[in-house]
Amino acid sequence: MEIQDIKTKEENTWCPGCTNMSILRSVQEVLTDLVNESKIEKKNISIACDIGCFAKIFDYLNVNGFYGLHGRTLPLCFGMKVGNPELTVIGFAGDGATYGEGVSHLVHSCRFNADFTMIVSNNKTFALTTGQASPTSRKGYKGVSTPLGVGEEPMNPLALALVSGASFVARGNALNPVQLKSIFKQAIEHKGFAFIDILQPCLTFNNFIPYIQKNAYELEGGHDVEDLNQALKKASEWDYSVDEDKKVATGIFYKKERPIYEDQWPQLKKPWYQVERNINQQENTKEFV
Amino acid sequence: MQKTILVGGKAGLGTAVTSHFIGRVFCALGYHVFNYRDYPSLIRGGHNFNVLNISDKPVSSHDNKYDFIIAFDQKTIDLHKEELKPEGFILGKKGLTGDKVINIDTKSILEKLDAPRIMENNIFLGWVFNYFGVDENVLFDKMAEKFKGDKLELIKSSIKEGYNLSEKKESIEKIGSPKYFLSGSQGVGVGALNAGIDAYIAYPMTPATPVLHFLAKKQIDNNFLVLQIENEIGVVNAGMGSAFAGAKTMVGTSSGGLALMSETLSMTGISEVPLVAYLAQRTGPATGVPTYTAQSDLKMAINIGHGEFLRIVVAPGDAKEAIIRTQEAFYLSSKYKTLAIIVTDKHVAESDYSSDDLEGSSLDNQRFIESNFSNNHKSYEITDDGISPRVIPGQGPVVRATSYEHNEYGNTIEDAETVKKMNDKRMKKEEFIRDEIKKLNPTSVYGEGENLIIGWGSTKGAIIDSLPSLENYRFLQISYVSPFPKESVLREIEKSKKIVLVENNATGLLGDVIAEQTGYIIKDKILKYDARPFIPSDIINKINK
Repeated sequence: MEIQDIKTKEENTWCPGCTNMSILRSVQEVLTDLVNESKIEKKNISIACDIGCFAKIFDYLNVNGFYGLHGRTLPLCFGMKVGNPELTVIGFAGDGATYGEGVSHLVHSCRFNADFTMIVSNNKTFALTTGQASPTSRKGYKGVSTPLGVGEEPMNPLALALVSGASFVARGNALNPVQLKSIFKQAIEHKGFAFIDILQPCLTFNNFIPYIQKNAYELEGGHDVEDLNQALKKASEWDYSVDEDKKVATGIFYKKERPIYEDQWPQLKKPWYQVERNINQQENTKEFV
Repeated sequence: MQKTILVGGKAGLGTAVTSHFIGRVFCALGYHVFNYRDYPSLIRGGHNFNVLNISDKPVSSHDNKYDFIIAFDQKTIDLHKEELKPEGFILGKKGLTGDKVINIDTKSILEKLDAPRIMENNIFLGWVFNYFGVDENVLFDKMAEKFKGDKLELIKSSIKEGYNLSEKKESIEKIGSPKYFLSGSQGVGVGALNAGIDAYIAYPMTPATPVLHFLAKKQIDNNFLVLQIENEIGVVNAGMGSAFAGAKTMVGTSSGGLALMSETLSMTGISEVPLVAYLAQRTGPATGVPTYTAQSDLKMAINIGHGEFLRIVVAPGDAKEAIIRTQEAFYLSSKYKTLAIIVTDKHVAESDYSSDDLEGSSLDNQRFIESNFSNNHKSYEITDDGISPRVIPGQGPVVRATSYEHNEYGNTIEDAETVKKMNDKRMKKEEFIRDEIKKLNPTSVYGEGENLIIGWGSTKGAIIDSLPSLENYRFLQISYVSPFPKESVLREIEKSKKIVLVENNATGLLGDVIAEQTGYIIKDKILKYDARPFIPSDIINKINK
């Protein structure tokens, strides 16, 4: 398969130079590689997106998909997976949708551990609605809805995912596509719920590129990805604020397989649309007489 | 033969089980039975009661005058003694007091049998059925359907003790072939099985939960999935994902839960992903009276979701109809790629109805999925009937669904011409759905007379049972509220002299819908909005006043 096969001809409407471009390109390359390595089948790739700048990726990926509602990517992915366990399901959404509107779904997706991947492009702002504060905006962030500055500390989605039971937790850096590709590849191949938070500075409303360039580093061999305590410690190094320089770890924080949601259900063996039913209506009512 | 029996007591003592069992025995003997359940929102204590209406003629409602009462506690006697018929009596354990109370020393019997307190109801059952002259083996056979081993033996011994304590006063015999006995919830569940459901996703909420429980028990033997997930918004979005991935999917909830699903149900309109939603109404607004009934969400069902889009709304009026309408909802939703809502309420969902047969719909349960497709598949292809051929992700071509306005490929668009074209495409389905619904008895007429009662849903039973006491009235039941069968409703209205609307709500919601759809304004309304269902006398007294 050529990378062209996974691209669409739709006009890209992200701002010129948007850091989402490198995420898109990395996704396209990784999916092409995985198909060519026979790890996945193109016809089985199914994406879910919601509403926000990053969700526009729906129009740029030539694969099956559902362009859903703001904050609801996770249950949409979950539903696809239980509707057809053979699908390779990947969710794409922003920080506003995933950590604000739909945060309850994040907690439970981590618990359920259904076998799909969730990629959050975290620009720490609501960009498509012109720059309001999001749950990961720094304290003091002045957006159009917060002229006095945000009063709260940002939330830490990695720590939340870890304590909620996610079996794969990673932080990507939109400025580091080589690492992104490695994370994506491992996330898609991971059996279970894989959660990736990507630092994606927004050139228009929240440009924290200098902070990332200065402070981001890649987790290396010394980090034991199967050690939850180490992962939590690493996740706590940085609190998502950008006021003072703190080291920002990127890469895979935690990766440890455990039984997946789908395995609980002996009847969930193949795509439901392939199930042929021989329904006996009398059988269905005989207990009532 | 006609008998009305009240079984009451604290929650957890087995009033519902006792009442249901009496109903099953009479159904086995060929009688018609209706069982009403009344319970507050608590798990232990309080006051639960069930009313059984048993007759040799068809019956589909309860009453508030009792031939006798089985009282599990003093409160039952205190609350209901005034409703006892003059010749009636009350059966209760030793220590309960009041006029016409027959005391049974259940405690010593249980001690003698070394039986736990939950066996107490079996002593009452034995007493009652000996009084009726029904052979104990009829009871034993029925018990053996649910229990076995030592437990069954203990139940039998308890029943026998009851037999020894009463006198045989009647000789009730088998009058016909056994009848089916099931609740509206079980009807919805059976309908879903008949339709070939693949996934039921729900979050617990009274009175929709019995469908969740019923289907959960069936999932292994019938090979489908029942999932309870984090909240109603999660439920309906997972439902959309599962339906998109090719599973015949139903989500279920009650009034407040459907309200939470509103935004996503709107997405069924534009994404054209087929979804069935089960709504069991309860008394609102907000938390309202959680375990009681109302028909106050009709307009929510037919209008839910922002924007303009098609949906099918069916409202079965009893358990057998629940089977058929549920199958129809699945069929129409799959075929026309729309939302279909099945509306019941606490009264239909949790009452038990007897029936001679439970023959379901003969509509087939095919999946309406294409096996021939091109690689240039258009998920939203514009066709003559507005229905785009459906392909499932995984079959081969790229399949898209979207909440955005889109072109035929499912890619986002905003240009005026395509926006209009896609609206027209979706709305076009309506005329075909209307034609199809005409063949499915969207309205039914019961009885004869130049005057007309109009109703929908759970009032069906009480209205039908009131007809013999009303002069010159027939009943028009409306089972499809969207798309609305305006021609047949108007036809019945035009040939009637007096028209009365009967609804279990405060404002006459169906009356508004009829006015909007046909231009006819119904002035005479019998409305009940005390969270309790109609009984025939509510209607008879108002009309004959």
